[in-house]
Amino acid sequence: MIDFLLEIGFEEFPPSFLKKSANELSGKVVNLLNQQRIFHRSVRMIYTSRRIGVLILGLTRKQKPQVVEIQGPPKKLAFDERDQPTEMLQGFMKANNLKRSQIVVRKIKKGEYVCGKKEIVGANTEDILYEEVPKILKTLEFPKTMIWTKGGTKFPRPIRWIVALLDRRPLKFEFAGVRADRHSMPNQHFSFKPIRLEKPREYINLLRHGGVVVDPNERRKLILRRIKKVVEKMEGKPLYTNEMIEEINCTTEYPEAVVVGFDEQYLNLPEEVLMTVLKAQGNLIWLKPTSRFVCVFSARKKALQNVRKGYALVVGSKLYDALFYYKNDSKQGLTRMEANTKHMMWLNGLGSLYDKASRLSDFTNFFKQIPGLNLQTLKRAARLCKVDLLSEMIREKDFTSLQGIMGGHYARASGEEEAVASAIKEHYLPKFAGDKMPSTKEGIVLSIIDKLDNVVGAFLSGNRPSGSYDPLAVRRNGYAVVHLINTNSFDITLFNAVDALLKLYKKDIEHEILFEFFTERCIRYLQDKKYRYDEINAVLARWKGDIVDARMRCAALKKMSSKAEFTKLVIGQKRVRNILKNVKGLGKVSAELFKQGAEKKLFKKGMETDGQLKTLFEARDYQKILDLLLAMRPDIDKFFDDVLVMCEDEKLKKNRLALVSLINRIFLLFGDLSRIVIEGEKN
Amino acid sequence: MRKLRTFENIILDLSRYWQKKGCLLYHPYNSEVGAGTFNPATFIRVLDNKPWKICYVEICKRPRDGRYAENPLRFQQFYQLQVVMQPSPTNIQRFFLESLECIGFKLKEHEVRFVEGDWDAPTLGAWGLGWEVWLDGLEITQFTYFQQAGGLDLKEIPVELSYGLERIAMLLQGVKSAFDLKWNNTLTWGEVHRQNEIEFSEYNFLAADVRLLISLFNQYETEAVRLFEKGLILPGYDHTIKCSHIFNVLEARGGISISERAKMIARVRALATQAAQLYKQKKSERNVLKEGVKQ
Repeated sequence: MIDFLLEIGFEEFPPSFLKKSANELSGKVVNLLNQQRIFHRSVRMIYTSRRIGVLILGLTRKQKPQVVEIQGPPKKLAFDERDQPTEMLQGFMKANNLKRSQIVVRKIKKGEYVCGKKEIVGANTEDILYEEVPKILKTLEFPKTMIWTKGGTKFPRPIRWIVALLDRRPLKFEFAGVRADRHSMPNQHFSFKPIRLEKPREYINLLRHGGVVVDPNERRKLILRRIKKVVEKMEGKPLYTNEMIEEINCTTEYPEAVVVGFDEQYLNLPEEVLMTVLKAQGNLIWLKPTSRFVCVFSARKKALQNVRKGYALVVGSKLYDALFYYKNDSKQGLTRMEANTKHMMWLNGLGSLYDKASRLSDFTNFFKQIPGLNLQTLKRAARLCKVDLLSEMIREKDFTSLQGIMGGHYARASGEEEAVASAIKEHYLPKFAGDKMPSTKEGIVLSIIDKLDNVVGAFLSGNRPSGSYDPLAVRRNGYAVVHLINTNSFDITLFNAVDALLKLYKKDIEHEILFEFFTERCIRYLQDKKYRYDEINAVLARWKGDIVDARMRCAALKKMSSKAEFTKLVIGQKRVRNILKNVKGLGKVSAELFKQGAEKKLFKKGMETDGQLKTLFEARDYQKILDLLLAMRPDIDKFFDDVLVMCEDEKLKKNRLALVSLINRIFLLFGDLSRIVIEGEKN
Repeated sequence: MRKLRTFENIILDLSRYWQKKGCLLYHPYNSEVGAGTFNPATFIRVLDNKPWKICYVEICKRPRDGRYAENPLRFQQFYQLQVVMQPSPTNIQRFFLESLECIGFKLKEHEVRFVEGDWDAPTLGAWGLGWEVWLDGLEITQFTYFQQAGGLDLKEIPVELSYGLERIAMLLQGVKSAFDLKWNNTLTWGEVHRQNEIEFSEYNFLAADVRLLISLFNQYETEAVRLFEKGLILPGYDHTIKCSHIFNVLEARGGISISERAKMIARVRALATQAAQLYKQKKSERNVLKEGVKQ
């Protein structure tokens, strides 16, 4: 049994994909061992801010031997009458270096054939790793890479050393211009002297002496222990999440912790501001509600005093700035800021932020029928929601992320009612997929209004998204609109909303491109809700922009699609559609022109169904509607079986086509089921 | 007791350190820049894809960061020590850390943290990957491997180190405000700069004439284009730098809208990109000529 250590050392790696990359590397190495039939006892993934790797204990020196069978000639041709090998078999044996004892007969599909059984001796683990590990390194995938030498390998950060040690022997392959060997590096705060490793088992301990805790799980526990220890007997509770701890874990090699204080006057700042300042540093944890925080740092313990002084200075200075902005903004007040929005242009050619606020405020009328909505509150919030963009706080890039939140605070401070402040605070939500949603009715509607305006504004100002080009995040805005309307089950017809908004803009634009955009967003949304693309397509074929309704239709269709008759229903509409291709100018169906029973029956069934559907559509009972449509199927089949639609008599033909078209229209009330792909059928 | 390192001695020590590493000692540019990267000694020279090692102090102007001399860490004018090494040496990180030791930081007593920072200069069409280097939580240096400049891919990858000299000096001297830094044994940084900070803060935020600045921006832009057309690339680039600074003042002054801001950035970038491309073009033409002479 032997051990293997692989460590890729680099300058500090981006923390956001460090763990993922380490996982990928160790996963691929383990895969290699399994594929190559190399037994191993244990695997330890390794990552710190400056290395990823894997430590594998208890490998076999060689691959497990393998017996393979090489197929030879058919049995008939391999042996003569006396059961002796023919020339053909002898040739086969010679070519493959086989003895008579290794020849067996196997029955396969084509008949009986001879096979040569051959044991392949396992190759050396060393040779395999030497060959394959550099190949694995080449296949690692990263979201962002760089080069650091002319024409060099791409990697997230420059690779500076590689350890590849199989027991006592280094595998000296080359990757990214670096030759692998047995030397690792300590943490820079400890030394620059390489650590010579005699064998993999020394790795963890020797590195620990060099100021590196290589095992991420051990390091994570150490971080938590350190935090716990320094806050013992202290007032306040450390406010952290698992993500924060993991981020710290990905930026350290040797965690230490220290408690740092700041001036109590900064506790007057809104909590979000305080959190933003601390969070920007990445390694600070607030002891809520005190004027202290824990700093987790990666250096020697001796650095503690300097670290405390340094972070106190940095955080103090940033809080100083924040308070400076906050006081100035509060002194200026919402009214003065609002007046300034007249001078702040929004998008090219679309007026100022003040104009935008006026438009949003007017647009609120479209939403007035939403139950439980206070229109006055909404209008006021719409008026004021962009005002904080003029505040000093939000104009500072460290605090831009607090847009809306500061608006809420400033509104409250200026004596606006609480509901107005809340709506302003929430109206940017959700900011990304999976983000928090606004909670108050006015906040929700304001979010929809603002995002609709962002989309329409972008289209009007020449910022239409295309390909990867979407500078104003129009797609995200559009998606959020669909998401908000659906989750809140608002009875809003999106296309009408777009038209109402376009009217307020007084600008000419083909509204179809906006309808198309929103339809596409709705498709994406429903896909994310796990509906099938073709089913969504069927439902949205005649869509007017009612999202909740579309979702209900998709749900009904999905339920139905698991039933056996569903295929029939789809094929029914496909037949109807096919025959109507390129047919134009059909009149009304006249019952007196019917010649056959099947025609009369289908017409009767169609009229009957049509009558029943009306109330069902009002009730949005799509389950029943699909059942009814399905019930037309026997009559449709019978009609197509018995009746020749394309007959010679023009009059009869036209009347029959008109009947088919009538049936088609009934189907289309629900959607275009012919767009659904049936398995095994070419569409 | 350790001898106090004055601001000027820190600059001298760092310069000497990099001089020993083979860097040419150079000087600031003679026009307002926001960072040492704008200096043609960096921006233009990295385009050569040839060995180039240089070290210089840059006087950086960031109008938006003025605080009327009231914030200990923020000012509209400060000093950078800029180091460019092209191609980047493999042990550059160690060189950098040792440069900190050479000015008096014992690495054992501090935390040096390399915080991911993708550097991007939109007005220069330049970007790179690297870090903000934090010493005890304070950002003291930008450490960047350039990937592109003037919209062109770089081949010999240069590494750029931009030391924030005030912050480094504050940590070394243990003062809480840059204004209290000892510049030499008799004068402080504040005594040298306080009035400058107060007056320029007022200029940048309140007094700057927006109309004049916009008009100057337009004129310098036109002039840059005219010079480029004549093949006068460096003078054209000089006017590009002027546009960039005027833009920065306008931004501080609050005289431009969000969309106007994006447009002006794009205009400056267009000039910088043009300068870079024309420079490359002229170089390759000259090379062809030289080759011709040799033959």
